[in-house]
Amino acid sequence: MAKFVIGVDLGTTNSVVAYSDLEAEQPVVQLLEIPQLVAASTIENRKSLPSFLYLATEADAEGGKLGLPWDESRSFATGEWARRQSADTPDRTVGGAKSWLSHHKVDRQGNILPWNAPEEVGKISPVEASKRYLQHLVSAWNEAHPEHAFADQAVVLTVPASFDASARELTHEAAIGAGFPADFTLLEEPQAAVYSWLGHMGEKWRKALKVGDKLLVCDVGGGTTDLTLITVEEEAGELVLKRMAVGNHLLVGGDNMDLALAFHVAELFKEKNVTLDPWQSVSLWHSCRAAKEQLLQEDGPDKHPVSILGRGSKLIAKTVSVDVQREPIKQMLLEGFFPACAAGDKPERGFVSGFQELGLPFESDPAVTRHLAEFLAQHSEKAGSAIHPTHVLFNGGVFKSEPFQTRLMDTIASWQPDLPPQRLEGDHDLDYAVARGAAFYGWQKEKGGIRIRGGTAQAYYVGIQTSGLAIPGAPRPLHLLNVVPIGMEEGTETDVPSAEVGLVVGETTKFRFFSSPIRKDDKPGQMIQRWDEAEISETDSLEASLPRDDKINEPYVPVTFHSKVTELGMLELWCVSSKTSGRWKLEFNVREED
Amino acid sequence: MSRIGLAFKLFFQILFNSDVAQRAEKLSLPAPKEQEKKPEPPPPPPPPKPKPPRPDGIDALVLLATLQREARFLDLFQEDLSEYQDADIGAAVRDVQRDTKATLNRLFAISPVRTEEEGGPIQLPESFDASEIRLVGNVQNEKPAGGTLVHRGWKATKCDVPKFNGTLEQAQILNPAEVEV
Repeated sequence: MAKFVIGVDLGTTNSVVAYSDLEAEQPVVQLLEIPQLVAASTIENRKSLPSFLYLATEADAEGGKLGLPWDESRSFATGEWARRQSADTPDRTVGGAKSWLSHHKVDRQGNILPWNAPEEVGKISPVEASKRYLQHLVSAWNEAHPEHAFADQAVVLTVPASFDASARELTHEAAIGAGFPADFTLLEEPQAAVYSWLGHMGEKWRKALKVGDKLLVCDVGGGTTDLTLITVEEEAGELVLKRMAVGNHLLVGGDNMDLALAFHVAELFKEKNVTLDPWQSVSLWHSCRAAKEQLLQEDGPDKHPVSILGRGSKLIAKTVSVDVQREPIKQMLLEGFFPACAAGDKPERGFVSGFQELGLPFESDPAVTRHLAEFLAQHSEKAGSAIHPTHVLFNGGVFKSEPFQTRLMDTIASWQPDLPPQRLEGDHDLDYAVARGAAFYGWQKEKGGIRIRGGTAQAYYVGIQTSGLAIPGAPRPLHLLNVVPIGMEEGTETDVPSAEVGLVVGETTKFRFFSSPIRKDDKPGQMIQRWDEAEISETDSLEASLPRDDKINEPYVPVTFHSKVTELGMLELWCVSSKTSGRWKLEFNVREED
Repeated sequence: MSRIGLAFKLFFQILFNSDVAQRAEKLSLPAPKEQEKKPEPPPPPPPPKPKPPRPDGIDALVLLATLQREARFLDLFQEDLSEYQDADIGAAVRDVQRDTKATLNRLFAISPVRTEEEGGPIQLPESFDASEIRLVGNVQNEKPAGGTLVHRGWKATKCDVPKFNGTLEQAQILNPAEVEV
């Protein structure tokens, strides 16, 4: 029996662990102090573990300099020291592993990180990097609670709502490899932020929201933006929360904003004939974050000095500073990331952004407001009437800058002037809400209490090549068979009614696989012949391998599909033979597509 | 006595004497098991490897290294300020100050001892801790009821200096020399 419930927020740039004692009367959620290296041989406790990994040189690893209380001879470092190393030795530092997990164009089990680094550093895969961050958190827990091993507790791990089935599968694999209990639960991050709010409010939340309200969760993390819409409904006289829609996976976040500002300031230095080395660029990034919060304040100063300290020990002699003006910064960040826009606006596509070289498909349009407009418009269209959020919950450190919150609220208000939304009342912990909310959710799950319902955020489709007249040179048309509808609840399964497809015996059969967060009306078994690329996107392919078996005399076995969403939030797809009792599980192919 | 005789005697005693009946009932129950063997207590964990005693003062060195690493503390305080204009010094100090403050607050959670405005009058309780409040000026043996707050004081509300696993010689390196290759 678990004594604690543990919530783990595996973030793009920071990871946090929160926990609560299940034997207490009330859920009291605390943060775990995470011992980590901050320099060679130096261990400090921090509330978060920067999601960075430093592949040390032999000299650095010598003599236990990378030792941790639970592992005295390590050859790599995770956490704060690794984050610092990203400035000094970028080729040996892995960052942003989480963003790579959902990037279908690369092999996420392959040793590809650090991206573009020479082979000799001993590159690792995005899954392995995630596993090592999680391992660090597990060990930190076990160190602090030797009587209550992590693997025996009730554990909740958060993922972006926009993570599709294969990204969740990879996260799951990394967690199990890191020593998570087999029955840990996945929870969507924006929902976790809502649970954190519910935990803060207690029963008072029933006064803050009423039936028919629509809560928009706007979660802008370090590397990703996640949009979720939750409705308040009534069932048997009780208020219930239902997750209605989630947005696409948007690779734009707070780090992009700080980088954009740093880039601007670096240009100012260039005008003074100062070129910055990579080390200074990172310290500039740091200074810019502070400057951003100052300059964007409502009655902030007109200008803010930003200095670059000299690299050597002669600090003052080599320090240069520039005055950063408020107006251009406001212009750049507010207009760049949160521009006022019309409800019918769409993100600009095809614009080449400055982040391409990192290898990740960063959003070409970083305007969060335009992505939000598109998100609401798409779901309004499907719902048949306009969706007007009544409340907004902000999450993520970015929103410490008040003007971003204000701009977003003003923009939504301009779309629905009769019904301006309001900010969700109460205290909000922008940095730690996800981990805290995950722990609170775990508590509710064990002890009973309000749960957000919603089921799967996406519908899933298997691509079926139609038979028909073959036209030389033209591929047979592809049709999509719905196998999982949006909103399929945890703990349910369904047979997909369809014509049979053949699995070739003794071979691996591949299926193309697609997902859509929008098409709410599609039911399992429905075949789609035409679709809009903005609605349905292709994800990792699936494959089933059917071993040769003496009992099967045919060259192939006709099967239909069976889908299942486990209690723990994992999606499983099976091929079921209608003639024999055979069942074969479809596995994601996350290797690079040829 | 033959067993038949005994059986009959017991039969009638059990039938008419409740005391004997109870005793007989106990006899006929299965013998209580020997107390279940307690599981062997797990062997005590092996005593931790004796660590070399931490050299005196290593925490102070680690704190200095931390301030240098996070805030360029030594670089500023080791410089000869007479060479520079005030404006140049100010530009550098701003960053060092910001980062030093953040570091000190993280490690020590520093807060003022008194929260009242400096320069204003404050009340003093009848008995106060002399290590928290120092009386200055015209100090008598009798404790005064109040006075003017000259300095709010500072206190560390925690102490989380990083732990260092290396040797004293390693800790003495507050910032290694850096060579770009």
